[in-house]
Amino acid sequence: MSALSAVMYREGKIRATNALFIFWDVVYPLGYLLVFGVGMNKALAFTGLSVDYDAFFLAGVLGMAGFGIASNTAWSFFMDRDNGIFYEMLTYPISRAEYLVGKVLFNVAIGLVQAFVTVVLARVALGVPLRPAGFPLLAAAVVVGTAGWFFFYAIFALSIRRNDAFNTVTSIFYFVFLFASSMFYPIDPLPAAFRDVALANPITWHVDVMRFATIGQGDPQRIALEAAGFVVFTTISFGGALHVLQREGN
Amino acid sequence: MPEPAIRVRDLVKRYSRRGQPSVRAIDGLTFDVARGSIFGLLGPNGAGKTTLLRILSTLARPTAGEARVLGHDVTAAPLDVRRRISVVVQETAVELFLTVRDNLGTFARFHGVPTREIRARAQRVLDDLELAPEAHRKVMDLSGGFRRRVQIAKVFMVETPVVFLDEFSTGMDPILKRRVMDKLRREAAGGRTIVLTTQILSEVEELCDDILILNRGRQAARGDLQTLKLLSHGVYEITITFERLPPGIEEELAARHPIRLAITQNTIDVTLKDDDGGILDVVGALAARGRVLRLEVGGASLEDIFVELTKERGELP
Repeated sequence: MSALSAVMYREGKIRATNALFIFWDVVYPLGYLLVFGVGMNKALAFTGLSVDYDAFFLAGVLGMAGFGIASNTAWSFFMDRDNGIFYEMLTYPISRAEYLVGKVLFNVAIGLVQAFVTVVLARVALGVPLRPAGFPLLAAAVVVGTAGWFFFYAIFALSIRRNDAFNTVTSIFYFVFLFASSMFYPIDPLPAAFRDVALANPITWHVDVMRFATIGQGDPQRIALEAAGFVVFTTISFGGALHVLQREGN
Repeated sequence: MPEPAIRVRDLVKRYSRRGQPSVRAIDGLTFDVARGSIFGLLGPNGAGKTTLLRILSTLARPTAGEARVLGHDVTAAPLDVRRRISVVVQETAVELFLTVRDNLGTFARFHGVPTREIRARAQRVLDDLELAPEAHRKVMDLSGGFRRRVQIAKVFMVETPVVFLDEFSTGMDPILKRRVMDKLRREAAGGRTIVLTTQILSEVEELCDDILILNRGRQAARGDLQTLKLLSHGVYEITITFERLPPGIEEELAARHPIRLAITQNTIDVTLKDDDGGILDVVGALAARGRVLRLEVGGASLEDIFVELTKERGELP
């Protein structure tokens, strides 16, 4: 068994012991789509949008799901520390990069399942008009997005030794990244300063790519730029997480 | 001559903390460990044992010097080192949410044991360490002693040529400890190199072919048990049980600057250093202080040597 599949097997084994946790990862974004999304769609008239809010918000829900799965996966470093297994694992015949990648692979698979369920529900229950040609791009965005946010969070999970401190950091990130982005609303009508922050926010890049992939909304040139930006963000985050992991114990 | 299992040269590990002077946890160590031997690292708390083990198991990088495991440099080729070692870290390290059997299986998978072999190996190890009745229980439901047992059991699932054990017997009952020690002896006889740290000197006396005593990150002494005992030439352990403890004898013994002195009820255990060969005179003088029920005089134990060597600073012969 290769090192990567061994890490993935372990992650799967542990995650499978708590099916509720997996269920929550898959289902809670659906709640957003069906409750928050539908409510917003009905309660408010989004005259600025060329599509229903349901359709607009679909990519936001997919982005939120990947973001949540990534933060939960990074949090599991604390569980590994509490179990004492973290340092033992660092003596296993795997490279630090394989440890990081293997850890996220199983959760990327959950992300793909989550995305599939969300897209099917959006089509069947809400009648969101989807663009099947964009599905490969959507799958790629889910994979890279979940991995990118995991690597980003891993930098903090590995640097911060206290679980409560990490929870505070993730709460701040949730607030800043999710609300200062195109996840819940279009950013063009926003005040200039707010819009500039949102444009510089990798969540915006990630969600915009998925919005383009699902409903075809967005300028292809800008989407390409945002996709490239997110790949760079993921690469830098991976490098940062790897650096922190390699520094462990020194 | 084959490469030793472990080769350490001028190894230094310095820890720097902001605003504080740096600490040399390992201070210029040089030693080899022969293949197939059981090598004991002894030392008081903070002597550098765990730091040394962390460097050898690629968990920490040395500040200077060289450390090789089976010829592979721990800094330049850590993955090659990790392919050849299994480690029991000082803290209990188990997958709490997995069953005992799954803990063994997961560990074996990481070390490349073929899936078809894992079940049979796990059953053998479960039987050997009396874990079979708990095989399907989640580790989170087991006591601390059982968790440690699961942790130890993992190294018997694989055939890595080098095994590092950091205070492996913590939390183990004596019967299991004996069983594990027997197993370790068999593994070493089969060619595996075992490197262990412990605070329990009887474990070292019983198990180790080769002993390194560390103090403040430096070598305080090195050799097999008999060689170390030579270092304590002139050190004697005296046990006297009086019918009634003579008054003032504690002060009298303290005046002789014993290495160790313990008085329990009417029994005195004292370790004295006497280079002049006058130990029998001392014993005679003590025995004359009251009616003696039992008297034993012996050479120094490893504990005496350990206390003697580690209470002093710097390198000793």
